[in-house]
Amino acid sequence: MILHFIGELTPPHSPSWKRLLQALAAVVLLQLLPLPGWSDESLARVVEEVNPKLVKLFGAGGFKGLPSYGTGVIISPDGYILTINSHILDTRDLRVHLYDGTRHQARVVAREPELDIALLKIDDRKRKIELEHYFDVVQAAKRPIAEPGTHILSFSNLFQIATRDEPMSVGRGVIAAYSRLTGRLGVFEASYRGNVYVLDAITNNPGAGGGIITTRKGELLALIGKELTNELTNTRINYAIPFSASVTVPDKDGKKVTVSVLDLVNQKENYRPAPERAKVTNVAFHGIILVPNVVEKTPAYIEEVVPGSPADRAKLRPDDQIVYVDGLPIQDITSFNNLLATYTPGTEIKLEIQRGDKLITVPLTLEKPAKAGKK
Amino acid sequence: MLHRFLQALFVTTLALLPAYAQGLPAKVAEIEKKRIDVINKVKPSVVAVMARDLRGNLTGNGSGVLIDEEGYALTNWHVTNAARSPLLKCGLPDGLIYDAVLVGLDRVGDVALIKLLPRKPGDKFPYAKMGDSDKVKAGDWSLAMGNPFSLATDLTPTVTFGLVSGVHRYQYPAGTLLEYTDCIQVDTSINPGNSGGPLFNLDGELIGINGRISLERRGRVNVGVGYAISINQIKNFMGHLRVGLDTDHASLGASMESESEDGGLSRIVVKSLIESDARRRGLDVGDELVSFAGRPMTTVNQYKNVLGLYPKGWRVPLVYRREGERKEILVRLMGVQRGVINENGRPSPPPMPPSKGPRPPVPAGPPSPAAKFYKEKEGFVNYYFNEEAQKRVLADLARLGDFSKLTGDWKLDMNVRLLDRGTPVATRASFTISETSGTEGKLPKITAEINELPYTLEPLKTDEKEEAFKDPVNSGGWLLATYLYRQLLVYGPKGFPGKDTFWHGGVEPYYPPSDPQKGETSRERVLAEVLLTRFADKDSRWYFAQEDDPAGRWKKGQLIGFEVYAEKDRDPCEVCLSHYKDFGGRQLPSRWFIRHADNNYADCVLTAVSCK
Repeated sequence: MILHFIGELTPPHSPSWKRLLQALAAVVLLQLLPLPGWSDESLARVVEEVNPKLVKLFGAGGFKGLPSYGTGVIISPDGYILTINSHILDTRDLRVHLYDGTRHQARVVAREPELDIALLKIDDRKRKIELEHYFDVVQAAKRPIAEPGTHILSFSNLFQIATRDEPMSVGRGVIAAYSRLTGRLGVFEASYRGNVYVLDAITNNPGAGGGIITTRKGELLALIGKELTNELTNTRINYAIPFSASVTVPDKDGKKVTVSVLDLVNQKENYRPAPERAKVTNVAFHGIILVPNVVEKTPAYIEEVVPGSPADRAKLRPDDQIVYVDGLPIQDITSFNNLLATYTPGTEIKLEIQRGDKLITVPLTLEKPAKAGKK
Repeated sequence: MLHRFLQALFVTTLALLPAYAQGLPAKVAEIEKKRIDVINKVKPSVVAVMARDLRGNLTGNGSGVLIDEEGYALTNWHVTNAARSPLLKCGLPDGLIYDAVLVGLDRVGDVALIKLLPRKPGDKFPYAKMGDSDKVKAGDWSLAMGNPFSLATDLTPTVTFGLVSGVHRYQYPAGTLLEYTDCIQVDTSINPGNSGGPLFNLDGELIGINGRISLERRGRVNVGVGYAISINQIKNFMGHLRVGLDTDHASLGASMESESEDGGLSRIVVKSLIESDARRRGLDVGDELVSFAGRPMTTVNQYKNVLGLYPKGWRVPLVYRREGERKEILVRLMGVQRGVINENGRPSPPPMPPSKGPRPPVPAGPPSPAAKFYKEKEGFVNYYFNEEAQKRVLADLARLGDFSKLTGDWKLDMNVRLLDRGTPVATRASFTISETSGTEGKLPKITAEINELPYTLEPLKTDEKEEAFKDPVNSGGWLLATYLYRQLLVYGPKGFPGKDTFWHGGVEPYYPPSDPQKGETSRERVLAEVLLTRFADKDSRWYFAQEDDPAGRWKKGQLIGFEVYAEKDRDPCEVCLSHYKDFGGRQLPSRWFIRHADNNYADCVLTAVSCK
């Protein structure tokens, strides 16, 4: 499975003598300079330099376990901020805390769901915004793709540990791969399907989205993404979207449209998002119809079985009560639905059924829904 | 030119080849070796703490770290709390099991001090040197050591290596009062069982005690966010922990709120205030908090961080601003409401592994030899250590002279400069203390003549006037203070009859009289051991020097000041003592400085003493 992540590495395209020279120079530098990142001093200094270029975001959320906080990166002196396109932006009261503790209102300039990013702007109607610390995203986008094995630093306000002038949390890790993202958020396929850096550290925590990863010298590499599940392994994936990211998607008429992070950054208010697509759900089909979920803890009794469905083939019957799925207890219909939502088609699950006074174990292979959305 | 450059490069490269042949650049190899050396150096100090219930069943495993050669070790309260007994078993990396006893607790701060017993009397323990956690920066490397998932079946600690992610972090109490203030955030892997273990910097100095991790939907495992209690915070509590106290954290008696408009920096403003020392010192609702204990205040988290650093009863400077005017005050911190954390109050999350799987072998045997180092007393974690500390302080006091036979009349004469009026008044004061035996035991009486005015106090007379306890006016109770001073010297603990009337209160800051030339801003602070006493409902605190004063005002072990509360929850009469001199073969302080509330009252020189 791991093999899926490896590929599409960008080899250097320079002539061989130039590469030799570069290699030699690198070796010499290794010897002559103290290794950056290996002495505490330089890393602490990098952290100090990067922190003022990031902002804490506070917006919508705070219910159903959804965080109401996030992170963003300042990309211009007049207060443009890049972050992840998330639910926290769905508010008219979006607030930004700068590194010095000042608090500002911000508005969403443009969003690009296909890239899963959004551009914000600090409100400057009351006073002029002039920021001293920001990243040059255009330059970051031109940087060659970092190779697997590159040591990185991550910066974000994960778990909302910091407010006001308290600094971002910094972590360290290694780029494990540069590969296409195949993630999902709950039952929905992740909107961005392009290339990402896959990281060996747990960077994608609540609130970390919109934070950044940098080299150990503090050079901007990529934007930390959401808390996604890898479709291939059903495990959490820690990834970051490079600033060179672009995707090509079909519009209504089937014509191909390419959008990129740089388009959004350059066009700002004039940016037009890629045409909307039908959301592809990757919900697994089992063919079990449960009794109506009327009371708070309705037991998961089967009302009906869809003919020809996996449930039908597994010989499930009305009035069977589902008590365990893969060894996990099913207290009620809600817990059954929640659990099943985490499975992908093709997975074989083990149901334990109470039928009369007998407990029966039934294997069932989940399928793609008959009317799956078009890719 | 290019050719020569390339040649030079080539030569340099050749020189490097041996290092590369071994797989690592020399610099990296050197750094790696240094790290391994540090790990090997500190490893012997890492403790595996085994929590057992009263029947000896293992109820959890944690970690700890030795901090001196006597065997004192730090761990988390929630580790020792898993044991239902103050007697513990600990393992060291030498592969041996040691008996240990609980000494002191800071439940709110999640810290416990334990003491390991040497296997042979007199044996010394390896220990970790404490660092300065205020010097730790985000981006520094750190090493966590301990016993995660109870893996250390051979008692060799696990080492993890990572980055400091943030410093001065505040973590809200999780369901209980247990809060992590001013803590160090690390991405160094900390897991269940690491609790109580050390966090080291790359110089091998102890900078924190690992105790808590952020969790989210992924079960009780590390998600890249762990927290260590900063060692500087623990240092403030150490004096309390060492004397067997169940220490309390502090509150100011005020709540703060962050007040700001968009665009501006936040101001921290007093939102509400209860009857407290802060209020008596003049703090009021609406005042802007500028700095607290020397730290600038810009967020409520920072305010809470500072509060968490100090035990209840400590006095710290506070600067506030009102209508543009900046004022500095010294406030005594109050305790946090108690009773919320009880024995069943589980900190959340408690990173303790279930006691499954392989366990370090602990032979069942006779009762723990640690039992003789444990004495139960209500309100104390381990009264044995408090008694020992009392004995030590009283022995120091006895070295100044034996006063125990001098139960007769005492007469003290002083030259006095009264400071409570516009211009200081030079005058004299004379105190006479006597005890007459009445039908209900001894009846003490103190008479004084201060600035030619007579005063009398009979502290045990049932109908004695409230004002008499506070005489002279503005002193807060100088007569009472002088009487209690004699009481301590003559009778020691027996001079304070009743239940829970005499104990060692750990270590507190003491502020000697400030130099009038330099003013309040040059506030000097020394740490002093404190004895707490109660006499006929009057509380007192007695401060003893931990070190010789470089300026020569006092020596280690001398009583350098005391406070007497004539009235509960009011300002005490503070007596600062210095410049000990020989008076008839006994050492007494020749300089007495009296303060009360916000004012200096009198500066005195003891001229003659007669003790019978």
